[in-house]
Amino acid sequence: MDFTYSAKDAAFRDELRAWLAANLPAGWGETVFGPEDEDENAMFRLDWEGKLYAGGWNGIAWPVKYGGRGASLVEQAIFAEEMARARAPEGLNIIGRNLVATTLLHHGSEEQRQRYLPKIISGEEVWCQGFSEPNAGSDLASIRCRAVREGDHFVINGQKIWTSFAQYAQWCILLARTDTDLPKHQGISFLLVDMSTPGISIRPLRQISGESEFNETFFDNVKVPVANLVGDLNGGWKIAMTTLAYERGPEDALGRQIHFKQELDALIETAATLKRGKGTAIDDPTVRQKLAKSVVEIEVMRLNCLRAFSKALKGKPRGPEASMNKLYWSHVTQNMYETALEALGPLAPLDGGDPLSPGEGRFQLSFLRSKAFTIYSGSSEIQRNIIAERVLGLPK
Amino acid sequence: MDFDFSDEQYKFQETTRGLLDKNYDLDRLRKLLVGDGLDRELWDRLAENGTFSLLVPEEHGGMGLGFVDLSLVLEEYGRALVPAPVGETLTATDAIVRFGTDEQKQRLLPLIAEGKLKIVPAIAEAEAGYDPTDIAVTAVPSGNGWSISGRKVLVPHAATADFIMLAARFSEDGPLGLALIEPDRAGVSLREHSTLDPSSRFHELDLDSVAVVRDDIVGGEPTDASVTRLLDAGGVIAATMMTGISGKVLDTSVEYAKQRTQFGKQIGSFQAIKHRCADMAVAIDASRSAAYYAAWALAEEAPDRARAVSMAKSYCGDTSRFVCNEGVQIHGGMGFTWELGLHFYLRRAKVLEYSYGDAAYHRERVLAETIDELGIGMN
Repeated sequence: MDFTYSAKDAAFRDELRAWLAANLPAGWGETVFGPEDEDENAMFRLDWEGKLYAGGWNGIAWPVKYGGRGASLVEQAIFAEEMARARAPEGLNIIGRNLVATTLLHHGSEEQRQRYLPKIISGEEVWCQGFSEPNAGSDLASIRCRAVREGDHFVINGQKIWTSFAQYAQWCILLARTDTDLPKHQGISFLLVDMSTPGISIRPLRQISGESEFNETFFDNVKVPVANLVGDLNGGWKIAMTTLAYERGPEDALGRQIHFKQELDALIETAATLKRGKGTAIDDPTVRQKLAKSVVEIEVMRLNCLRAFSKALKGKPRGPEASMNKLYWSHVTQNMYETALEALGPLAPLDGGDPLSPGEGRFQLSFLRSKAFTIYSGSSEIQRNIIAERVLGLPK
Repeated sequence: MDFDFSDEQYKFQETTRGLLDKNYDLDRLRKLLVGDGLDRELWDRLAENGTFSLLVPEEHGGMGLGFVDLSLVLEEYGRALVPAPVGETLTATDAIVRFGTDEQKQRLLPLIAEGKLKIVPAIAEAEAGYDPTDIAVTAVPSGNGWSISGRKVLVPHAATADFIMLAARFSEDGPLGLALIEPDRAGVSLREHSTLDPSSRFHELDLDSVAVVRDDIVGGEPTDASVTRLLDAGGVIAATMMTGISGKVLDTSVEYAKQRTQFGKQIGSFQAIKHRCADMAVAIDASRSAAYYAAWALAEEAPDRARAVSMAKSYCGDTSRFVCNEGVQIHGGMGFTWELGLHFYLRRAKVLEYSYGDAAYHRERVLAETIDELGIGMN
């Protein structure tokens, strides 16, 4: 056990820190923030993605051959830490970078990798994820969106839902049913779909927070070349599981942890200055207990990720433990935002639209957004089933 | 950066589990509920396994290792409900290694390494909270040394220990310090408590003008730091043992849920049971992160030692409470019986939960440290 960093790792950190200082606008995260308008913000994040790429800092975990740095897990951890420490915005192409690239590196053909990876890493092509459907959420394998082979094309008909960033995406990873006679897990294929193909329409969904990050996406006789099939025909389920494992893995969680830690620090600072009776909110022993509980839980989230990284570094396989990680962080962060509102006390209902809102409404917005954590990329109920059956060996 | 144990450390855990599986179980624990409660045979076996030499530096006949090396083993001790004063002696050993005078180290450490000394800390007082500043037992100057009067409570295995490591204030408004006294020293009287955990053997310790000389004080002079370190080491050991207990209760519950059938099905196939088990597993895994990191912080005297220890003690304490309660619930009526013995885990976890500071005390310490780190309120 050793929590010190090697000279090489320290140099990597210094290089990144210097680059961030030189490339983020002065006062970033303190007095200067990204645009408030959602669309403008998305374009701002896309622009930032381009800057990261130009600086050699996008897709660092990718093999050098495809434009990455082949960064070690420790370097990835350092990257997540430094990006968050600088409060750097996250590039827009999260799905492309983290999910599509990982999936293609594992299951794509060399031709597919050559075609798609360079444009993902450069930010030229943004991706969205067409997995869930209105009637296939937790039971993802029951998807009905059909892909029927006609000559050298598949013809797609159906509907997807919760497709984040579809309004900005050029491409989509799509799960579609290619055989209705086979058992449900065995008739699914994994396809790459050009979002400009005729027959695709999208409708934004307004979220609990009032924002519209995700959409419903409709496919009406959409023609997709057979060459856009990833892996084997009807072999899409296993490939989708690779995608999801990365969505729940420690790389993802570590970046989030640092974001949550910043939110928690901001909350403690807010509570320490927020007048309450004769003192401030942080003088209340109940508030103190709850804040401390979150400090512990958020720090343990980081330690969980570091343990997972250390296991991976030794070549121990990535298993269903990712579900444990996800179940843990989604609940402790929801607790943290409940605590945030409690700490704000009587002013808790005032959101960002009100000048008296403590923290300019950030805690109310984050509280609402946090409701998604225990639902997306496998609801808590699904994670618990996975842990109980695959980690603990309880019967189905 | 490596937050994992070495192959040797995992190997040591494995041998320890094997040794305990073979030599110690609930039947044996039940037999020790009568008499003085000390399992001398188990003590000797643990000594042979290197338990007490681990923290002792090589120059004093030990292995010269640290808390990280001890971590997985302590989890096994918790899991097997290894009785006091094993963790207690290790806590005291650390204080002597870190703060003892050369003479004390030469005199005590070789004996400790061989398993020939049992030392138990005496900290709690009936009218004190968990903060060390609450300690009211005071040593007043007398002749060449000090005279100590007052009362300590919940001193584990005091009757069978070779030394009691007594936390006291030296002079009113003076520093805290640790004094080593024999249980039969003049002026010391013991009364065995009746407690929630009959396998833990706690005593009330009455001190009536007990004479203490400089050589009895760990380090020769009293220092607050020796007491804080003792409390932190004891807290991490308790946290790690609680984590071991939690792991055992989960394993037992999962096993039971696979065997017990109701409505024609294994109860482990019901989501009401499955989901409880999954939540227990997640909390236990997170407890391990907290406990292992605290062991490292303790071993390395890391700048965030206090926070890391308090994180572990509060988190692992909350977890063991949750897991033991759920474990009883999953076992249904059987969980409520004396016969099955699940209650021994609940009981031990409970006394550990309230030793060396409970979760609420440690959370307050975590927040104070965090506020300090953020530089808030420094106007």
